[in-house]
Amino acid sequence: MSTATLTHAEAHGHHDHHEATGWRKYLWSLDHKVIGLQYLFGSLAFLFIGGALALLLRWQLAFPSTQVMPDGNVGNPLSLSFINPQFYNALFTMHATVMVFLVVMPVLVGAFGNYLIPLKIGCGDMAFPLINELSFWVWLASGLIMLAGFFVAGGAAAGGWTSYAPLSSVAAYNGTKIGQTLWAAGIFINGLASIMGAFNYITTIVNMRAPGMGFFRLPLAVWALFITAFLLLLAIPVLSAAGAMLILDLNFGTNFFNPAKGGQPLLWQHLFWFFGHPEVYILILPAMGIVSDILSVNSRKPVFGYRAMVYAMIAIGFLGFIVWGHHMFVSGMNLVLSAAFGVSTMVIAVPSAIKTFNWLGTIWGGAIRFNTAMLNALAFVSMFVIGGFSGIFMASTPINIFVHHTYFIVAHFHYVLFGGSIFAMFAAIYFWYPKMFGRRMNETLGKIHFALTFAFFNLCFFPMHNVGLGGMMRRIADPTAYEHLRALQPINQFITIAAIGLGFSQFLFLYNFFRSLRHGEPAGKNPWEATTLEWTVDSPPGHGNFAVTPTVYHGPYEYSLPGAARDFIMQNEPPAPDHPAGSPVSPRPVPVG
Amino acid sequence: MSRFWRAGWVGLLGWIVAAGSTGWAEIREAGVWWLPRNVSHFGHEIDFMIYVILWLTGITGILVFSTMIYFIVKYRHRAGVGAIHSHGNNTLEVVWTTIPVFIFLALAIYGNEMWGRMRMQKPPADALQVAVVGEQFGWNVRYPGPDGKLGKMDSHKIGKDNPFGIDPNDPDGKDDFTTYNELVFPVGHPVQLHLGSKDVIHAFYVPEFRLYQDMVPGRVYDFVWFKADSTGHFQLACNQLCGQGHYKMFGKLSVVPEEEYQAWAKGKAPATIASSAPMPANTSVANR
Repeated sequence: MSTATLTHAEAHGHHDHHEATGWRKYLWSLDHKVIGLQYLFGSLAFLFIGGALALLLRWQLAFPSTQVMPDGNVGNPLSLSFINPQFYNALFTMHATVMVFLVVMPVLVGAFGNYLIPLKIGCGDMAFPLINELSFWVWLASGLIMLAGFFVAGGAAAGGWTSYAPLSSVAAYNGTKIGQTLWAAGIFINGLASIMGAFNYITTIVNMRAPGMGFFRLPLAVWALFITAFLLLLAIPVLSAAGAMLILDLNFGTNFFNPAKGGQPLLWQHLFWFFGHPEVYILILPAMGIVSDILSVNSRKPVFGYRAMVYAMIAIGFLGFIVWGHHMFVSGMNLVLSAAFGVSTMVIAVPSAIKTFNWLGTIWGGAIRFNTAMLNALAFVSMFVIGGFSGIFMASTPINIFVHHTYFIVAHFHYVLFGGSIFAMFAAIYFWYPKMFGRRMNETLGKIHFALTFAFFNLCFFPMHNVGLGGMMRRIADPTAYEHLRALQPINQFITIAAIGLGFSQFLFLYNFFRSLRHGEPAGKNPWEATTLEWTVDSPPGHGNFAVTPTVYHGPYEYSLPGAARDFIMQNEPPAPDHPAGSPVSPRPVPVG
Repeated sequence: MSRFWRAGWVGLLGWIVAAGSTGWAEIREAGVWWLPRNVSHFGHEIDFMIYVILWLTGITGILVFSTMIYFIVKYRHRAGVGAIHSHGNNTLEVVWTTIPVFIFLALAIYGNEMWGRMRMQKPPADALQVAVVGEQFGWNVRYPGPDGKLGKMDSHKIGKDNPFGIDPNDPDGKDDFTTYNELVFPVGHPVQLHLGSKDVIHAFYVPEFRLYQDMVPGRVYDFVWFKADSTGHFQLACNQLCGQGHYKMFGKLSVVPEEEYQAWAKGKAPATIASSAPMPANTSVANR
């Protein structure tokens, strides 16, 4: 477990590529850091596109263009007339598709996975740099193909990001044959990019760790990405197959999902959610790993229960494959099966609870530094807890009979995906920006951005629990069409205003991000006084990362060791005879205090 | 910067108060600021379960968040005060793994016991049989005639001209009557639904019944049953995205006294053919 099998030189003997310069760097460079930045810039661009789609659909919910006014006119005076019901359906379909496949996955897995894995495990690049670069371009193409749907006859896919058949698979039912086909093709191609990335990560982490970097000396961010890569490798091909079947059904006369011709609509749901539930953990595990690292650095304390954290993530990885049926409790599948999935779903909540307790344990007894990265990481923990709580309601089979497909579930997954993954993304950007660009982002602007985002996020998404319990369905273009929802309309308008505030707060982040490229305070090698290997090299690191392959002597979280000269010990610091070192992975007794 | 902060917070607060108070007033007036009215006997159990989990998560949440805030304040960085060096505590790990395991398993077992009673127990023999078949974008409804028996539904026979998949020679179906977008149930009388779909997946959703069930084409589901315990007028909503007109696929649903139901049913002419009442022009697929 403790020695890497390849040295830096061996690993790189076969592709001694040279550093590209200028704009060429961003087209042809095979450097994992450049590819990581390409993913970062790409997914930030898609974040703003996905956000704009969200604001449009929120506007329609607050001021529906189809609403009949007291004077008999159709359309609220504030409504946007170009949002007709079909376009509204396309808006939420593409909002979710963009956010899942083009923002959260690529930013956490693509950007931070690529950038951090080689730097954190002490090697010069990914195992397959060319495939790595190919994966980025394939990913970008998939995004453009999916968004192209807005410009074809019939418009973009409008069957929801889950694209339930036979609405999605029969053109006569959906009216968006081309858009739906582009969506499925985009999903298929996006899957190729994920698979290329996944086996690259696994190969790199297994084979290219620096000497001394045993598996239990890996930072939790690397562990999380490692487990995520396995989930990708096992779950994505199922979605790709489903996407291919959807294209065949739509265009080439097959009937996998069309019951009128002998197909099975529930087959689509099983395939989609067999991918879809591991996907949920693909979106949150890297965030958990990143947040564990940031909490530890800024509390000046080792991660509490490092091994428990690793085992919890492995447990989540396994259990993630046997809970997909909880999306289908009320789909009409076998009723005993629903009950069984109800049990496995309750069980998968346990490792998430363990992780939360360990995060609290990590900040306990610390000397907490409240920089912007830390604030976002703490927001991740608290919002993830709320998202977890609402998940327990959804997991209870009888409650699901009532709240399924209401705004309660919309609130739930936004607490996990925005409150969880997006806050972790901000934490990661504020934290590793100095490494990536050699300068720090402005802390004051960062904290204002954090405060606005945190406040507007909760104002926007918390009331959705109430409208959901109040009986509001998701995916309806005009809530005022329903008598029982009209009384909820003021809350819908309130949510929309909060969403607008949330959206526009992000321009502050954008300004800070680009301004700091030139005007940020120079960062130096290790601005946060962290221990892991990426902080031992220049900011930004040069081509090939390490001049000499580092040797690792310590675990990733040696903070505040009694008797040490500083409150942190770098992973590659040779042990001095006068202070304890060696195998800091085994738990030490907890001092009382 | 502090002036900026103050202006921001004052603005935010004012806006919350203004938007919140108008919203809240209207919501209280309508009486739906929390769970809507509940008229089904299973619905009360579902609400009870919601409150059980609400208390559980509420108490846990208060404990977790107050611990977190306490740690954040107490262990903030102060000059000269270092952090504790601790890699964890195995006893604590065992404790906070075991307790959630028991709580979650208890919730799963308790929930599934309810699920079994709501979904896998046969309805009473005298239950009123009602067939509901969704289509883009409306509801075909079929009631049994004076014989109390609904014609047998065959999912393979469901089609354009035969929304219920009825065999025209089935004697049970001869006296059935149909409605479109209109459901009437007698209060206090168990009702068993037979749910199907002509085209895409729809869902039978009535929040006041605490009831959601997908209706998948190619299948007929007959495990949903309930008993309304008070009268009222509600809306049946489609809650599974079914296309352009999804947002206005709703029907009238009334729960009335038994005599009123009988009078309503008596006035209905039997369906002359296997099919339903004619589709209103404004909801037909061609005109959508």
